[in-house]
Amino acid sequence: MNTTVSDVEIKGATKQFGSNIVLDAIDLEVKQGELLTLLGPSGCGKSTTLNLIAGFLEADQGDVYIKGKKVTKVPPYKRDLGMVFQTYSLFPHMTVYENLNFGLKLRKISKAEQKEKIDRVLALVKMSGLEHRYPRELSGGQRQRVAIARALVVEPELLLLDEPLSNLDAKLRHELRLEIKRLQKEIGVTTIFVTHDQEEALSLSDRVVVMNAGKIEQISTPTSIYKHPKTEFVFQFIGKSNSFEGAVVAIDSQKISVKAGEEIVVVDYDNIIGEDRDISSGDEVKLYIRPENIHIASTRETSAPLELHPATITQMNYLGTSWEIDVSLIGKSLQVLTNDYDSSWREGREVFVGWNPSDLKLIKKE
Amino acid sequence: MEPVRSQINQERIEAEPPLKQKKLRKRKSWVPGLLLLVPILLFLFGFFVVPMLYILYLSFISTDSLSGAGAVYSLQNYITLFTDSYYLSSLWITVKISLLSSLVALILGYPIALTMAKSTPRMRAIITLLIASPLLVSIVVRNFGWYLLLLPNGTINSFLMNIGIINKPLNLLFSELGVVIGLSNAYLPFMVLAIVTSLYNIDPSLEKASAILGASPLRSFFSITLPLSLPGIVSGCVLVFSLSMSAYVTPALMGGANVPVMPVVVYDQINNLLQWTFGSALSYVLLATTLISVFIFTRAFEKSKFKEVFR
Repeated sequence: MNTTVSDVEIKGATKQFGSNIVLDAIDLEVKQGELLTLLGPSGCGKSTTLNLIAGFLEADQGDVYIKGKKVTKVPPYKRDLGMVFQTYSLFPHMTVYENLNFGLKLRKISKAEQKEKIDRVLALVKMSGLEHRYPRELSGGQRQRVAIARALVVEPELLLLDEPLSNLDAKLRHELRLEIKRLQKEIGVTTIFVTHDQEEALSLSDRVVVMNAGKIEQISTPTSIYKHPKTEFVFQFIGKSNSFEGAVVAIDSQKISVKAGEEIVVVDYDNIIGEDRDISSGDEVKLYIRPENIHIASTRETSAPLELHPATITQMNYLGTSWEIDVSLIGKSLQVLTNDYDSSWREGREVFVGWNPSDLKLIKKE
Repeated sequence: MEPVRSQINQERIEAEPPLKQKKLRKRKSWVPGLLLLVPILLFLFGFFVVPMLYILYLSFISTDSLSGAGAVYSLQNYITLFTDSYYLSSLWITVKISLLSSLVALILGYPIALTMAKSTPRMRAIITLLIASPLLVSIVVRNFGWYLLLLPNGTINSFLMNIGIINKPLNLLFSELGVVIGLSNAYLPFMVLAIVTSLYNIDPSLEKASAILGASPLRSFFSITLPLSLPGIVSGCVLVFSLSMSAYVTPALMGGANVPVMPVVVYDQINNLLQWTFGSALSYVLLATTLISVFIFTRAFEKSKFKEVFR
């Protein structure tokens, strides 16, 4: 029962800056104890949403509830939240200890209790022994650890993270991402994480909210966001995709046949994305397929159940764990991502590509 | 063993030339930069260093000996200065007035700087112009303006007497108060601009971080904004203090004979009494007092619990 309680609820929040609508009547619920990511390109409204929850912005319309209490007009300092910022935002004139104690002092607890809480949270973020350093004397990763500790030490109702990893280098980013996930599970604090990095969002979250142009496109688990995108935007924004256009030539209860160029491609009826599922013969459609869902082989025989089409390799890029291969299929360029690499493949060589009809997605053109 | 060593040597030989080239290139790059400074260095040497040294030299010549055949070198000027209560009290008045002027400029200037730092770029430009505009008016003209306001039968006194707050005119003019009003007003722009520079440098997310941790806006101001703007406060105070210590026109016009600050006394000694050597000694004591005060003031902050702010 507990898991279905909403810690945060946003109802019909709209925010406008001048004539620019940044949030367009958004509804959002955050469940107790979950790690929810707001993901989207810059300007999609994800930071505005976070600022509404934090109280740094007030919605023009709509309301924000935290733990069932309406906080729409409550200032940030009365909301009892923890927040981590992109720029670390440690107080430069205070030591690590003083930074952590800042929030505790305002909560009027005894000195001994302050020290106990600080020691515990420092151990949690693996920063014990650095209490007396100034932020200037810490590395980027250490600063962000302290910032996370400072947000957690006050035992907030909610933890808000505003692109906390985007100022760090790739390796540190990965390390801290795992750390945040571990901490969040350990403490169980309801967490809202804002990012523009899809890998971060997919790997961290219990649920992902994909936003675009002030609206929520989809709220789902990471796997379902990736595998069952509800809109064309989500499909394009998350991961890589190949797209080609065609016209519906035949349709039955399970399959749709689409003529793309000279080829007839068959798509499962369940794989229609977008609101408009009313497809009839003659409709112009777009087809999408992920690069890793295209099979590539040197000869026709290798993967028997798939229908294979001859194609020519135009470019090969080595990515370390896999190969990214561009092929030309009857004049269309397709990107293939594969681990099965044949050392005889060269640019200009003929290969065979094919796919499972269930991996093709179809959307009706406007 | 032998082949290994030779290999190491070879590597060393190969590694050295690029290093030398790098050094040479570095040296070449700053030489033209230094050449650009030659005119100003010559100018400062001729018109600042030489006269200052000459005045220092003069200050060690006994006053009486100038009329005679040969100059007598002694510390007599300095001894006179430090044993005569007139000069000591003049030095004290100068320091007191400069401290008060800095304080008044700080109290009046900080809110302006805070407003500027929080306003839009357009508003900021307007305030900057308003703040700097008094600098466009000659200090003498401004002093006569204050005359009209501060005279015993001037605007302020007439107004206060008319509404019955006072029954005899306040000594606003020809008093220390008048000089402080004049100096703090004249040097306010320096204070505001110094503070606003350090306010701009404060990351706005620090205030957000403070708020989300539970600090009210007032608490955030005293715990975050104010300490982080200390470098601006210190440099603003140093500027206003130093300028006030050496101000002549405003104390002469607003204070007159009632407020004999050091620059006025120096002027008197040299221009009216033709005591060049004693005047020189006075100038150097004034300069030393300013430097020592500024040094102690800045040092006190750099060693304080806010030392981290000054790095």
